[in-house]
Amino acid sequence: MSGDRRRIQGPEVTVAPIIIKSTDREKIQLKDINGQRRDGRNLEDIRPIFLKTGLISQANGSAYIELRRTKIACGVYGPRQTKIPSFSGRGNLNCEIKFTPFSCLKRRQPYRDAQEKELSQLVYEALAPSIRLDLLPKSTIDIYISVLENDGMASCFAAAITCASVAVADAGIEMLDQVAACSASYIDGDIYMDSDLVEEQRESGSLILSYMPSLNEVTHILQSGKVEVSLTTQAIEQCTDACSKIYSVMNHSLLESVKNKIQ
Amino acid sequence: MPPTLISPSENDYIIRGVDSNIRADGRGRLDYRQVILETGLITQASGSARCRLGEGTDVLVGVKVEFGAVELDGADEDVAEIKAKRGRVICNVECSPIASQQFAGRGADDFNNELTQMLDRVLNGPQSGLNLEKLCIIPGQHCWIVYIDAIVLDYAGNILDTIFMTTRAALYSTRIPKTIIQERGDGEIEFDILDDVEECERIEGWDKVPVAITLNKIGSRHIVDATPLEELTTEAKLLVTVNKDGKVCGLQKSGGGSIEPSLLIDMVQTGRSLGQSLIQSLDEMLQREENDINLKRAQKERKLGFFAAT
Repeated sequence: MSGDRRRIQGPEVTVAPIIIKSTDREKIQLKDINGQRRDGRNLEDIRPIFLKTGLISQANGSAYIELRRTKIACGVYGPRQTKIPSFSGRGNLNCEIKFTPFSCLKRRQPYRDAQEKELSQLVYEALAPSIRLDLLPKSTIDIYISVLENDGMASCFAAAITCASVAVADAGIEMLDQVAACSASYIDGDIYMDSDLVEEQRESGSLILSYMPSLNEVTHILQSGKVEVSLTTQAIEQCTDACSKIYSVMNHSLLESVKNKIQ
Repeated sequence: MPPTLISPSENDYIIRGVDSNIRADGRGRLDYRQVILETGLITQASGSARCRLGEGTDVLVGVKVEFGAVELDGADEDVAEIKAKRGRVICNVECSPIASQQFAGRGADDFNNELTQMLDRVLNGPQSGLNLEKLCIIPGQHCWIVYIDAIVLDYAGNILDTIFMTTRAALYSTRIPKTIIQERGDGEIEFDILDDVEECERIEGWDKVPVAITLNKIGSRHIVDATPLEELTTEAKLLVTVNKDGKVCGLQKSGGGSIEPSLLIDMVQTGRSLGQSLIQSLDEMLQREENDINLKRAQKERKLGFFAAT
């Protein structure tokens, strides 16, 4: 229709669109009558782990971990010479964790944001006690963790630590022990081990524990949310048990990679 | 400037001292330095407080309550609905270069980020104790956003505990303007913010805000309120945040060492009991300060003329 384009030739009476709210949608039940979770697990069960080393040819050591819908790859470069000429008796450990833009529900910015910087610091704190940095003066170990798919922030972070630990071992760097990490959520007074994204959104608190099973030492603990001390204690015990199970998976994958290298 | 190096003999001296329950300044393992707390220092802020720990650590916190939009997240429908009826808290910690030369320029960036995330982890969410629902003005549209900004003016160890203490005191002194909500009839809601200074409400839930206790593992023992030298001797630190009711609102380990699980649980218990007694003494301090102010207001001050006092 020609004429004055500034005049909108719309109808004289307008009505707001009708948005039908799904009121009859049932609230997602996290556990059924038998205490089984949505994917058939019990509250204290962790997701099955797929762990493989040696996928990145350029890196000194690498590992890939998969926990159903959480996928993380880790590459370790080192020990290599520290560029900055300052002398340090201990080796430097540099951890960087990065979420790929497509990994989370909401697209993440390609540049490193504050949360990733903090998580990188936490990964360092979790792994540093286990690596023999005192044997590597003037050297740097770089750990790069890339999260390809994120199904629950706490469990993703725990898996990243586990993956990084295996990658460091794959690189042949001397360690005191492997670090296994697992997470737990506090939902309605129950402890849900290794929770996924849907469960995480209902949580009133979460706990991430990194543990060295042979030495019986906790390398890192992070809890958020308001929790009773008794529940915290129980969760710490459950997490240490789960970490011991994860430990056997880590050892198995490292053994497999050694066998493949020999053949 | 806080020391970044420590000699092995100094290290050994501190470890042995801690083991015998005598620290370098004469305190026991679980003794705090003297706390000086004052509120209401900054007139432009909705609330403010400053805390000085012993002769060292000095933190200033300013709280500004501003009008803003509700957080609309692309998350689960139920979660988004809850968030639409709530106010928000945004924290920021900055280490001023006054505190130490190493904080000049971009030097403090990582440290600032770490402290901000730690503060944010505790204060953003129901564990903060603040009644966020009360901060909502119009559900789904407008709410009060509480900006908490902390500045570290002097560094002498135990920075996080001080930040939390000061934040709590600043929230105590925070006043939120009253809003009058009027429904215009055709579904539109209008609101008015009263400008009157007297018509302000205290932020609800300030007393449930948790405090932090940093436990430092030195040797096989743990101490609280470490000085910079003691911090250099620390293998591992555990931050326990606890509220008035004794609920643990956060746990975070930092540092390059590891802790045995039974010692870990022991440290959590210690932190919890210390936290509760700390909250009690802080509340007493705040109450005393308020009483002093009210007393001064009640007494009729002898008015001098402008140039009368010479």
